[in-house]
Amino acid sequence: MSTDVREVAGLALDAAKGDDALAIVLGENSGLARFASSEVHQPTLIENCSVVLQVVRDGKIGTASTNRIDSESLATLAQRAGEASDAAVAEEGFPGLAPPQQLPEVDGWDDELAELGPEEQARRARAAIDASSIELFGFFTSGATELAIASSTGVDAYQAMTDATTLAVAANDRESGYASGTSWRGNGVDPAAVGREASEKAQRTRNATTIEPAPYRAVLEPYAFADLITYFSFDAFGANGLLEGRSYLAGRLDEKIVDEKVSIADDGLDPRGLPKGFDFEGVPKQRVQLIENGVAKGVVWDRTSAARAGDGHESTGHAPPPVYRQYGPLAFGISVAGGEVDTVEELCELVGDGIYVTRLHYLGIVDPREGVITGMTRDGTFRIRDGKIAEPLVNLRFTVSVPQMLQDVPGLSRATTLVNTSDFYGDRYPTAALVPAIATARFNITGVGSEPGL
Amino acid sequence: MRDVCRAAVDAAVGAGASYADARAVVRRSQGVTTKNGRVENVSDLESEGIGVRVLVDGAWGFSCDRRLDESGARNAALRACAFARAAGGRGEKALAPLAAASGTYRTPMEKDPFAVSLGDKVALCLRAEEGLRHADVKVTEAFVRALREHKFLFTSDGAEIEQELVETGAGIDALAVSDGGFQIRSYPSAHSGSSSQAGWEYVEGLGLEREAPRVGEQAAALLRADVCPSGVMTVVIDAEQMELQVHESVGHPIELDRVYGSEASYAGTSFLKSTDLGSLRYGSDKMNITADSTTPGGLGTFAFDDEGVPARREPIVVEGVLRNFLTSRETAERLGAGAGGSMRADGWNRMPLIRMTNLHLDPGEGSFEDLLADVDEGIYLETNKSWSIDDKRLNFQFGTQIAWEIKNGKLGRMLRDATYTGITPEFWGSLDAVAGPEAWHMQGLTNCGKGQPGQGAHVSHGASPARFRNVQVGVKA
Repeated sequence: MSTDVREVAGLALDAAKGDDALAIVLGENSGLARFASSEVHQPTLIENCSVVLQVVRDGKIGTASTNRIDSESLATLAQRAGEASDAAVAEEGFPGLAPPQQLPEVDGWDDELAELGPEEQARRARAAIDASSIELFGFFTSGATELAIASSTGVDAYQAMTDATTLAVAANDRESGYASGTSWRGNGVDPAAVGREASEKAQRTRNATTIEPAPYRAVLEPYAFADLITYFSFDAFGANGLLEGRSYLAGRLDEKIVDEKVSIADDGLDPRGLPKGFDFEGVPKQRVQLIENGVAKGVVWDRTSAARAGDGHESTGHAPPPVYRQYGPLAFGISVAGGEVDTVEELCELVGDGIYVTRLHYLGIVDPREGVITGMTRDGTFRIRDGKIAEPLVNLRFTVSVPQMLQDVPGLSRATTLVNTSDFYGDRYPTAALVPAIATARFNITGVGSEPGL
Repeated sequence: MRDVCRAAVDAAVGAGASYADARAVVRRSQGVTTKNGRVENVSDLESEGIGVRVLVDGAWGFSCDRRLDESGARNAALRACAFARAAGGRGEKALAPLAAASGTYRTPMEKDPFAVSLGDKVALCLRAEEGLRHADVKVTEAFVRALREHKFLFTSDGAEIEQELVETGAGIDALAVSDGGFQIRSYPSAHSGSSSQAGWEYVEGLGLEREAPRVGEQAAALLRADVCPSGVMTVVIDAEQMELQVHESVGHPIELDRVYGSEASYAGTSFLKSTDLGSLRYGSDKMNITADSTTPGGLGTFAFDDEGVPARREPIVVEGVLRNFLTSRETAERLGAGAGGSMRADGWNRMPLIRMTNLHLDPGEGSFEDLLADVDEGIYLETNKSWSIDDKRLNFQFGTQIAWEIKNGKLGRMLRDATYTGITPEFWGSLDAVAGPEAWHMQGLTNCGKGQPGQGAHVSHGASPARFRNVQVGVKA
């Protein structure tokens, strides 16, 4: 990456001299080879360097940003951030900017992946396409992101991250199958394997039948489970949800809320995920146990929410970027512990009679307090009969209370899969969830939709 | 900006592009959020750069550079060409013909929102929040936003277009919490309020302080309201929820790139086929939908889209029959109908995609009271709370913040946790009345997602309250 993000963070901080200030610089160099009908149709290269400056004057916080990094522009940035802080109102109990702390060493950078150029990105997209026996829709992307945070209190944090994802929907008029893979390692994603998996799944979806809406036992592949648990986490696992009473965990901490086989953590440090060493306040990331053996244990915190709680909580290293401060800390590194079942086929045996779900689509939170989420299944829904995957099903609408779904879990797969959860909106800051496949005794189907396929 | 864009297009054509366009964009936004009397966010953000899209040997390529100078422009152009060559095409792509256009456009406004101080914006939010307070309301929130996007488009077809679009918006939320209960009310719309392409006068006209006490009281009252019953029944849907209904079950399915499968891997496809044009019955003869990128105040209003196609108003559904798709130049040429006009990019570092502009349910006749008068028993649904729709835009499920029983043509008791579900053409087929122009109003939403990498779009929808028969209401977990 041509821009030294640490140097830019230092220059931005210098521009705000005299104020308490926090500078956050995010550099991105990425390529995404998007394809449809087996043709790369929207290849996109992005290079950017965003500078966010937060200025604190007498407890009043203001934020400004730019992607012009010359000294004059940084001086203007400091002036705008100062004016923003002057417009704010001081918050009683504001904890101030974070002090410098020892940051954990984390993995998450791969030189080879960082060097991938457009030719190789397009080649890997074609590798996925060539591995599919029917038309493929999706993308290969790789990117290098550098994050530098510096503050007037002495924070000096830097991390370089790489990430790659292949996502594929193999489809024709009457079939569709899905697969994806994500990793921070260049060899961690095999585009051909992803294309093949999607294609093989699609071929089993022809002549889908329908079922009556009702609660079913079910097996959810990691793709589906990651999506569901990520949506649940928005309200359930952040401190603001807890403090405001909209989290399912509010009033239920230290109670058994789900099956004892279920343990969920936020673990930004895990090298199997997309590791992060610190948050957007420069506070070191901690592994936070959210649910342990079915018991609600806690949520993630940043400095502001911890101060507002006023009961001894401390930041766990989960502050969002300053412009998303109102949302509070969020669990971007969900990790669900694997179980003791070796294969999804064995999970199907545990279910006996039910449905098999590959992937979900367009989730909506119906009731955050009770963790009720609706959405559709997509690209590989099947009936399970006599413990085996049987005939394909049409896409199904589900409306489930996630805690209720997790209250009777016949089993979880031993293996866990890293599933990208970022969709690459805005600046690149890759996130993913590490989850197993899961069998549940209750997955509430509330409607039926269209057949698989385009 | 013009010279920078021209340098990019020249470089792309020199490198073998058969077509190239360059957009230089400077975007500035301000946002204020207050919550429970505390200032959560005061921000002043800017971003700029150039995005270059090329067609080389039948393959598209896109690249961008944050430097708004000739060096950045050429770099972006050459990288776009390199990515297009690496991608490889299946033969030449044809674009619908377009007369070379030059022009300028600015959002008409009375008060520049960036001339209003951040301090005044904070003060407005705090005053609006005051009115939301109630013993059962645990969280009060208010927010305002302003956006200015100055952009220049230069294409190898000869378009030279400069536009400056300004948006303002605001909203308030009250969250009431009791033992096990959680309810929310919002104004003027859920999910980040409502925005308009206009000056600060739009925010002033919303009357946040005036509406706040009602919003807070309704949030609290919902904690004690009865649960909305389940069953198949007549529903009357307010204008705001109708706008989201139009967005999800009409706006997205008529995007021609979805019909052709370009979005299959993310946003999904469409139940519509290109051959449905002119013949598919989308809904009842009361259903009239218009796409209009000239609507005053609409977030999808411009003089030219991001391909240089002039803004227009065109019917999409006429008396229930599909008459047009939303198109790009490429998809219009492939279809043999339309001329493009819906291509929009999210800032400088994303490729233009087919997006909604302003999509409206045209008004019918009569008043809101007239809609109710013809209902013996039913439900009135107000303000979106949750939404979900399948990848072909057929099976949808919406929840609303508040509902009211309708009995003998009058509104009755308040109801909570209302949901309704349906299949798009069946649902629109059950439309039997749309209220008239007096009840029609427009909202602007800023959270429409599409594309990989993801892009947000700002679009507006206008609607009047509407009545549907035989709708499934009340879906339980």
